[in-house]
Amino acid sequence: MEQKLLLHAEKIDKRFGPTHAVNEVSLDFLEGEVHALIGENGSGKSTFTNMLTGILPIGSGTFTLMGHDVAPKNQVDANHQGIAIVVQETGTLGGLSVADNMFLGDEDQFIRRGIKDTAAMNRKAQELLDAYGLGYIKATSIIDNYDFEDRKLVEIVKSTWFDPAVLVIDETTTALSQKGRDKLFEVMDHVRELGHCVIFISHDMGEVLKMADRISILRDGDFVTTVNREDVDEDQLKTLMVGRQMDDHYYRTDYPDYAREQPGETAVSVRGVTVPGMIDDISFDLHRGEILGIGGLSECGMHEVGKAIFGASYDRTGEVVLADGTKVKDINTAIDHSIAYASKDRDNESLLINDTIEDNIALPSMRDMGRVLSDKKLREFSDKYAVLMSTKMVSVNQYVSALSGGNKQKVVLARWLGKQSDILVLDSPTRGIDIKVKAAIYALLEQMRKENKAILIISEEIMELLGMCDRIFVMKDGKINGELTRSPELSEQDLISKMV
Amino acid sequence: MTTSNDTAIDPKTTAIDDKKKDAFAARIRGFLPLIGFVVILGFFAIATGGSILTPKNITLILSGGYMLMIAACGVWLIMTMGCLDFSQGSMLGVSCAVFCALSQYNLVLAILGGIATGGVIGAINAYFHVYRQIQSFVVTMCVMFLLRGVCAFITTTSPVYAATYVTTFNDMTLLMGITLAVLVITYVVTRFTSIGHNLKAIGANEKAARFAGIKVQKTKVIVYIVAGCLTGFAAFINAIKVGSVTSTAGNMLETQLLIAMVLGGMPINGGARARFSNIVIGVLSYLILQKGLVMMGFTTEIQQLILGVVFIIMVALFSDRSSNQVIK
Amino acid sequence: MELIKRARQSQWYGVGLLLIVTALVWLVFKAMCPSTFGDPDQLLTYLQTGLIYAVGGCGLYFIVVMGLWDFSIGSVLVLSCLMAIGFSQSMGILGLIVAPILCGALLGAANGLAYIKLRIPSLIVTVGLSLIYESLSVFASGWSGTRLGDAYKMFGSYPWNLILAVLAFALCTFILKYTKLGTYVNAIGANEATAKNMGVNVDKYKFLAFVLCSTFVGIMAILYIGYGTAQTPMTGMLSQSLNFKPLMGTFFGLAFKKYGHPVAAIVIGEFIISMMFAGFVALGMPVTINNVVTGATLLAIICITTKRIKGAVVK
Repeated sequence: MEQKLLLHAEKIDKRFGPTHAVNEVSLDFLEGEVHALIGENGSGKSTFTNMLTGILPIGSGTFTLMGHDVAPKNQVDANHQGIAIVVQETGTLGGLSVADNMFLGDEDQFIRRGIKDTAAMNRKAQELLDAYGLGYIKATSIIDNYDFEDRKLVEIVKSTWFDPAVLVIDETTTALSQKGRDKLFEVMDHVRELGHCVIFISHDMGEVLKMADRISILRDGDFVTTVNREDVDEDQLKTLMVGRQMDDHYYRTDYPDYAREQPGETAVSVRGVTVPGMIDDISFDLHRGEILGIGGLSECGMHEVGKAIFGASYDRTGEVVLADGTKVKDINTAIDHSIAYASKDRDNESLLINDTIEDNIALPSMRDMGRVLSDKKLREFSDKYAVLMSTKMVSVNQYVSALSGGNKQKVVLARWLGKQSDILVLDSPTRGIDIKVKAAIYALLEQMRKENKAILIISEEIMELLGMCDRIFVMKDGKINGELTRSPELSEQDLISKMV
Repeated sequence: MTTSNDTAIDPKTTAIDDKKKDAFAARIRGFLPLIGFVVILGFFAIATGGSILTPKNITLILSGGYMLMIAACGVWLIMTMGCLDFSQGSMLGVSCAVFCALSQYNLVLAILGGIATGGVIGAINAYFHVYRQIQSFVVTMCVMFLLRGVCAFITTTSPVYAATYVTTFNDMTLLMGITLAVLVITYVVTRFTSIGHNLKAIGANEKAARFAGIKVQKTKVIVYIVAGCLTGFAAFINAIKVGSVTSTAGNMLETQLLIAMVLGGMPINGGARARFSNIVIGVLSYLILQKGLVMMGFTTEIQQLILGVVFIIMVALFSDRSSNQVIK
Repeated sequence: MELIKRARQSQWYGVGLLLIVTALVWLVFKAMCPSTFGDPDQLLTYLQTGLIYAVGGCGLYFIVVMGLWDFSIGSVLVLSCLMAIGFSQSMGILGLIVAPILCGALLGAANGLAYIKLRIPSLIVTVGLSLIYESLSVFASGWSGTRLGDAYKMFGSYPWNLILAVLAFALCTFILKYTKLGTYVNAIGANEATAKNMGVNVDKYKFLAFVLCSTFVGIMAILYIGYGTAQTPMTGMLSQSLNFKPLMGTFFGLAFKKYGHPVAAIVIGEFIISMMFAGFVALGMPVTINNVVTGATLLAIICITTKRIKGAVVK
């Protein structure tokens, strides 16, 4: 059966600084299909659809929908052009009624001479909710009265009631119960029946194989291939998702015989750490002289583990214990006991963007320099470590905001080098960084490992974990789902199978 | 062929151009307060036919400024963190009343009493701001009002008089010496210990400062208390000059301090661009501006009008903001 | 239990709660000074003053619900009152009503414009502008005089003050429920970034909110000057004292927003506050303590209505 072309993406491209998020991706979407878009974290699928739905401006390239080029300026603009999206996070606004949320940005249809016919809006909203089988949700009620799932269902109604030509479902299923998912699939089927297209982003291979007609795979911003559902199974999909060339120019090249070697002494013990809603009963030990990795999908909770070790978690139960018995409960205890932390949110947590390089490097070490701090002492200190990291800068008095991503990360590492930290917790250490700096960071980490420091890398980049870590924990849904040991035979499939 | 809803610019080159422009603008901005001071001085020197520069007038200007200078040190500490303190005026009034009352017994006790009063009020400010998470401006505005009532109540029947010996201290060398001492101590402490860096970090990004090991809550509490103590000490100077406390004591002090800080180039959100020179240049600029306006014969309302306009222009000029920030 | 649960869901739960608090406050003060407080005609007086501030509180609501501040309303009130005095002399009733409202609208536009264009925090820009408005009020009083003509005092008493106030409340409710502006100020307050992404022109609606806020202050001025009959210009930040009472009402409105009737909450809240102040006076509290109570009350109200989130950055 020949299906007509509905949406054509031609060489869609997007960069964020040095990161090439989407690399001239061209794709075809047909009428009457559910088209899944899969790939790892950072493969570009969300960026791609965000450009289609008006959340991000298009870098370069064209989207052609039913013969017309489209470049929406925002979500409501996209809706008017027949494109809709249901996002992963909360897309409804608290304090407004269900009806208000449903028609936010689109109230003009109810406005006559400046007056909003709220009764008509409420009526229409309720009609729509009833038509979707969601009549238990009251249109006049404040949306805060409903839980995340019901609010998400309202978003689904909001995005589909006008029969969009293209509906994007961006990893929405992960947060829904079975009931919610079933409702979503119902809606997806309906859209397909109407001869429109659903772009379905999901990490759940089972769902993908159940719902999708065709599946496109992206990897590192590149388009890999499109397959028909009948022609593949789960394992083949996972293989397609990964399967890159192992670029071992900058990763470690040694493969220690772990069976024979003694693990180094324990630096940090994580015992039964739980953060409600994020991680559940995590326990492991981090040893000196090892690089431990934690991997998983973005929402698996691994980022919170890093914060927990650094003492930066609120509502944390369980213990983080150091070798000398000290319990880490707050950031200052962590820092004073030689723990370093580089956050995934570099610009807001790891660094003070609107402050000098000198301050950024020297701050935690100032307490070790005695009561009196001379400018000269500080400058020499920060200069020493900035230069050690080969930071490209004009002087340490420059503001960090002026540096590139790679150099920013160098400042972060310079800070902890200066503090002589022995335990490093690095979350997404090479995210958004160019290759040269990546190589330098890996070399540094390898050197630190030889100096018997304890290193924990939390990363969404599978290759990085495979290339650098002695042991890798894979987390899924807040729990540790598997432990893998470094070896030449260890492959991406082994990790992905535990992540998804 | 590209269709995109921003024009096809290479993001890298615009980023570099923007950074160069920002750096240049930042250098200019660094000198603006000093330039502003010179301009103000020059303008009023001409407008008053040079009489503003006579020794008598300079003395007058300075003598009105000791209190302002001392209190400004405390406010500078608070503003560097990105917070505000609007209770300074009535804090001064109440501290002064305590001082005057205690001065009948013992000078040292009185000075300590004034300082302690300021400190307690600062602690109250800190409590509501840090632990109840209410914006500093709102907290201090409410406390300002509350204290104004307290001050009015204390002085219902009559002003509170300081002991007669107090006004004998009104000697320029002594007062100038005290003020300079406070300035020097503040400078030394913020420049040569980690405190100055910590405050700037909190102003730059409170969250990141926390991650860098700064005890943000504790620092805020200490700073508010110290600022209160400094104002309590400034109350001592006020008592020396005025000799008593009426219900309007310290009125408008917080506004004067705010304008002075802004004239000195302090960014309204604090942070790393705050400099000690904000205090000195700011207060001096303000004193000359105010005195100059008086000397030019402007009525109080026109003075206030000009101050208001100058204030808004200066805040806009020195604001240290990135374009994507959500400004409330 | 079931009854309470169902009552909670009802739209009128918030209002009901407030009415209970009102009754309680009345009871407490009545018990403490049975002879000097709480008679029906006194209640009418409390209501009268409460209504005036409630109109201001309604206007301020548009601003505060977005997370912004407007500390210029005191000075706008003074200037609007003087406009009313001045224009009533030349244009009669028309001047009395139109002048302060227009004055409020213009000053609100100035506030909005300054805030949008200068990109500085709203509380700083409105404090700065209040300095300017205060000085303008001196010039205005030079032209208009400070006493309202006897013929124009009708808005200071029943029934005209009630009629005007109710009209103002109706207008506020209408805007909140039946216009885009009403929806958008709530949206911007909930999440500015998401609202922007839905195509809401955030700058435009912030500007309009400032205009609206000061326009309501202009309406408040008609009631205020009718009641007080005279208004002197205020300088030296003295007009800041006029900000507090309306702001208290606004916070009542905010706290009860989720029950769906913020305007009712503002009005009842102002009534409670009026009663409280009258109660203190009946208890023999000296006038000077007024300010202490005002400052403490606003602080307490904000304290109670502010949600604390762990690790939030508050400046």
